[in-house]
Amino acid sequence: MIQLIDELKVIPGVIGACIVNSQDGIKATNLPTIFKPERLLAVGKHLLKLYSAGRVSFSDLTDITLNYDESVVIARELEKNTLVFVICDPTFNHNLMTMSLNLLQEEYKLGNFSTEEMPAVASTQPPQVDTSGKLQDLLEEMKGALGKILGPMAGFVFDEVAEEWAEQGAPHFSRIEGLIDLLNHEISEQDKIDSYRQLVAPMLKTFQEG
Amino acid sequence: MADAKVFVDRVKQMDGVSGCLLVKEDGALLGRALDDVETYTDLMVFAAGLVEDIMDKVGFSYCRYVSFNRNNNQTFYIFPIDKYLLGIVQQADCSVTNMLEQVYQLIGRVSTDGAKTVS
Repeated sequence: MIQLIDELKVIPGVIGACIVNSQDGIKATNLPTIFKPERLLAVGKHLLKLYSAGRVSFSDLTDITLNYDESVVIARELEKNTLVFVICDPTFNHNLMTMSLNLLQEEYKLGNFSTEEMPAVASTQPPQVDTSGKLQDLLEEMKGALGKILGPMAGFVFDEVAEEWAEQGAPHFSRIEGLIDLLNHEISEQDKIDSYRQLVAPMLKTFQEG
Repeated sequence: MADAKVFVDRVKQMDGVSGCLLVKEDGALLGRALDDVETYTDLMVFAAGLVEDIMDKVGFSYCRYVSFNRNNNQTFYIFPIDKYLLGIVQQADCSVTNMLEQVYQLIGRVSTDGAKTVS
């Protein structure tokens, strides 16, 4: 897979690229080692969320460009939950990049690459929210309730927060207030926090009563 | 609020701008010159948080804009301006460079104290 992104690196102004999957982590990267795998994975995950959010608004979304002072980050979805992102100097040739990404996407779809993994990098995948049965149902209900507070982006926010919550300890009902605290931080406005509390209170009670 | 509307009107008049809106970082709408604002405000607020996180993780210093590029060429731009977010829908057939230059020029002249001042 690395050969796919190596071709991007030939374009003037391109610092390097990375292919990331939401489940498997980093599939390939040729960015300088100063870009640590953990950080690349975090960036990749954020870009995947940003892409998904963009798709909610624009069904014909092709790619996303983040234009920073020092560099430009371009992200293109290769398949569901997998995207390539390229970090470039601000002076890069946009048209050439678009054309190269189109070709890369085509090659990826055709499977014209070897599938060797990057074990050291892939192993950095963060823990997923591993819950089952009733607790999973409760979390889904809480996610739905968050939608009434935060709108269409609530699902992404909830998944991100739930992941953070699971990283902090076992996803168990005894820690549910910790999850609500994290969600409150994202909601940020007190009246909305109160509304969310009112929405989830009966859910928590039902769960406790079995 | 009135000045925010003036600002939005000014952006709307730029060559290459199809529509625009200005929101606070919490998504509160200050001014608009397009329909279906909810589609954009939610995305703007969500994107702004992620873009800032990426900036911190990689060590970039400032985000000029984020763009969502589309097949219909009506790219949607988000420009963070202090505690505010300016969203612009680009006309399908326009000079992007020219449009961005005009936007930068205006943003550079704006004071965001209380979201009221447009010079």
